[in-house]
Amino acid sequence: MKRRDLLFSAGAAVGAALAPRRIWAADAPTAPVALARCNSYGAEVLPVLRKMFDQLGGIGRLVKGKTVAVKLNLTGNPDIRVGALPIENTNWTHPDVIGAAVSLFAQAGATRIRLLESPWKSAGPLEEYMISAGWEPRDFVSAAGRAKLEFENTNFLGRGKEYHRFPVPNGGHLFPAFDLNHSYYDCDVFVSIGKLKEHRTAGVTMSMKNCFGITPCTIYGDGAGEDEPGLVPRGGRNPIHVGSRQPSKSSLPEKDPASPREGGYRVPRCVADLVAARPVHLAIIDGIESITGGEVGGRPENCVQPHVLVAGTNTVCVDAVGAAVMGFDPMADRGVKPFERADSTLRLAEEHGVGTRDLKRIEVIGAKISEVVFDYRKARSVNGVPGGWPGQAPAGTPARGGRRG
Amino acid sequence: MAAGISSADLVPFLWPASWTDPRHVSLFEGGPINCLVFSGAAGPIADAARTAGMSVIYGNSLGAAPLGDVKWNTTVPIIAITGLLWPRMKTAAAGGPNQAQAGPTGAPWIDSNSWVARLAVARAPAKQIWLGFEPPKDEPAPTETAYRTAIADVAATGARWMLTLDEKLSRSLAAGVASALKTWRGILATLAFFEQRKAWRAYIQQGPLGVVSTFAGDNEFMGTEFLNLAARRNLLYRIIDRSRLATADLAGLRAVIWLDQELPAPEAVPKLAEFARGGGLLIASRTAAPAFKGERLVDCPVTGYELRTLGKGTLATTTEDWDDPYFLAADAHDLVSRRYDPIRLFNGSSYWVHYSVAAGAKDSLIQLVSFGSRARAGGGGTAEVSLRIAEAHRSVTLHTLDAEPAPLQPAAVGPYTEYRLPQFAIYAALEVKA
Repeated sequence: MKRRDLLFSAGAAVGAALAPRRIWAADAPTAPVALARCNSYGAEVLPVLRKMFDQLGGIGRLVKGKTVAVKLNLTGNPDIRVGALPIENTNWTHPDVIGAAVSLFAQAGATRIRLLESPWKSAGPLEEYMISAGWEPRDFVSAAGRAKLEFENTNFLGRGKEYHRFPVPNGGHLFPAFDLNHSYYDCDVFVSIGKLKEHRTAGVTMSMKNCFGITPCTIYGDGAGEDEPGLVPRGGRNPIHVGSRQPSKSSLPEKDPASPREGGYRVPRCVADLVAARPVHLAIIDGIESITGGEVGGRPENCVQPHVLVAGTNTVCVDAVGAAVMGFDPMADRGVKPFERADSTLRLAEEHGVGTRDLKRIEVIGAKISEVVFDYRKARSVNGVPGGWPGQAPAGTPARGGRRG
Repeated sequence: MAAGISSADLVPFLWPASWTDPRHVSLFEGGPINCLVFSGAAGPIADAARTAGMSVIYGNSLGAAPLGDVKWNTTVPIIAITGLLWPRMKTAAAGGPNQAQAGPTGAPWIDSNSWVARLAVARAPAKQIWLGFEPPKDEPAPTETAYRTAIADVAATGARWMLTLDEKLSRSLAAGVASALKTWRGILATLAFFEQRKAWRAYIQQGPLGVVSTFAGDNEFMGTEFLNLAARRNLLYRIIDRSRLATADLAGLRAVIWLDQELPAPEAVPKLAEFARGGGLLIASRTAAPAFKGERLVDCPVTGYELRTLGKGTLATTTEDWDDPYFLAADAHDLVSRRYDPIRLFNGSSYWVHYSVAAGAKDSLIQLVSFGSRARAGGGGTAEVSLRIAEAHRSVTLHTLDAEPAPLQPAAVGPYTEYRLPQFAIYAALEVKA
């Protein structure tokens, strides 16, 4: 049995491997979600996150003596900011949240922690990507204490000798399997630290959509190799977004090449497939500061401070709570905000048996959703009318949410 | 050639063939242009220019040539390089006039001649560097902004452009058309701005990486493309002509890259090895690396390279031959590390960055030449440009083309100090006092 199977059977992210083809909400597994107000980055993050982990039963049982792989959300060009705001205050997982998580994993006995991301069009070291944004990667090494801290760019083969195949239980919505960088296999615990954001294609992006970026562009990108994976990533993930081409032939093609070529159909399915294939053992959402209206091309007036952190061991449950915190109904589906033009990743992951999105079945520990709710649509309201997606008529009630001060 | 004006002070203008009236010399009255360059016989126009106190140069006396044919050891005090590109951001043909063409760096592609000027300074350090390029033909005539950008692109390097007008502007100017005269005044004001800051021309280009090559023959493509692409990704460097390596000062460099495929000459090896042993990073192709005795193999963060200790420093060697200067520039930046970038620029993808230091002092100069529309430079955001300066400093003064110099106030961003640049057109310089 492989290491990740061991942990899998230990219950960190149960259900997917054994699930029948379509499990509905009533059967999908649930797990508690810790929800906390966190007023600012800096010193406040560590004690808040520690308390949240304690509320979840402690993370020692999850990480002690283990290799912990942490997928960060560092999407987009590190040199580009919304106004003068550092990118971590808008689009990226903030380094204070990452550092706090790393520190707590190390304190709980993790032996090795790998920070992972697939930087845009780059085979360069992840550390360099962070430095480009003005971060200091050595801070994470310090935060890890005695645990060994590593960085890896997973947008290509990286330090591995081969890609590892992750079959999607139930056969997958879009892809039957994914070939990923070794770091997603060579670990005992997989953590996704996402950002509390809307997403123009998928409606929302939190801990699940963060996993879209685990796909290497050498196989799934515009410039992927035709027969074999490319040596370095070229281009973005249009092949997944709009089905512009199939992955390198060395990997399995999508199930139905005649399926819609529309991002709102494809991206949610791909994400649901990914979190089923590569289960998330711990999901954390950074909602202390963020941006509304989608993550690319934002404007300063869209920058917000929801002041929340969300964490739990079931990525669907965590994202369901996150969606509710953003003022959305996690049971909503295509046609209803935030999924006006996309299928719900939450539903599709639920169908895979990854977890439930039904708040009635999710125990929320710590703050109540009603206490921390921050309505993203109201926050970018115009003349008191909540904003919709560009090109869509806004609808709803007058604004009450707070913008970034 | 010039009478009474030092070659260092000549501000050249290529006389349009369509100007046949000596009275056009009056267009230069009160302006900074003091040297007329004629491609043919000038007769009474040259006399009028001399009478007006200007210098006159006939093009064939300059020995002007394309970069690959320049005679660097000429006795003429001016190196004139022709056949260069009109400096501008490339726009996509199919995407409309305002859609930038992405380059291999992912950032909008910019044609800049600044790396050519930098290379020329390195190859002929005692000479004045003049660049020759014409407004693009078969396209709408350049705007005043385009001319001012072209001037700034060259002036930021300390070189000078043999100012060349497009046909439409030269005819309109000759006819006294008001809009042409306005453009002309803008051109002269921009030239004057840089001439008033002549001391900056003596500043020395700086960066964490020393680039060693012959930049000629078999090494020309890789050498020159590396300079172009590294500059575009804001990897700041100091060019070291291989023939001058023995006397080159490597102090202050974080790394040196030996770009050429050949083994270094025996007398060059000790200098480079000593640099590494002192704590520097030496980057060499696998064909050149055997000249150095790397020691213990250590973890290399960059794929495709082998890293060995060399005294207190390290030797990075490729495992494959270099063939693509884009990837080489990216690899070099990763190997040196952005941690040692003197400047970190945000929302600056449409800017070309220049960094230089005052000779014998710690004062520095950061110059930004804008090639894009500020409103869209941030990929859809508001494109507020901000930057961090690595070196400790006392003050920063902002110089722009259209405003008086003014102190720039720092802003705290987490543990860092940053500067937020106000809106400016075409060019800004930050004079940094240590």
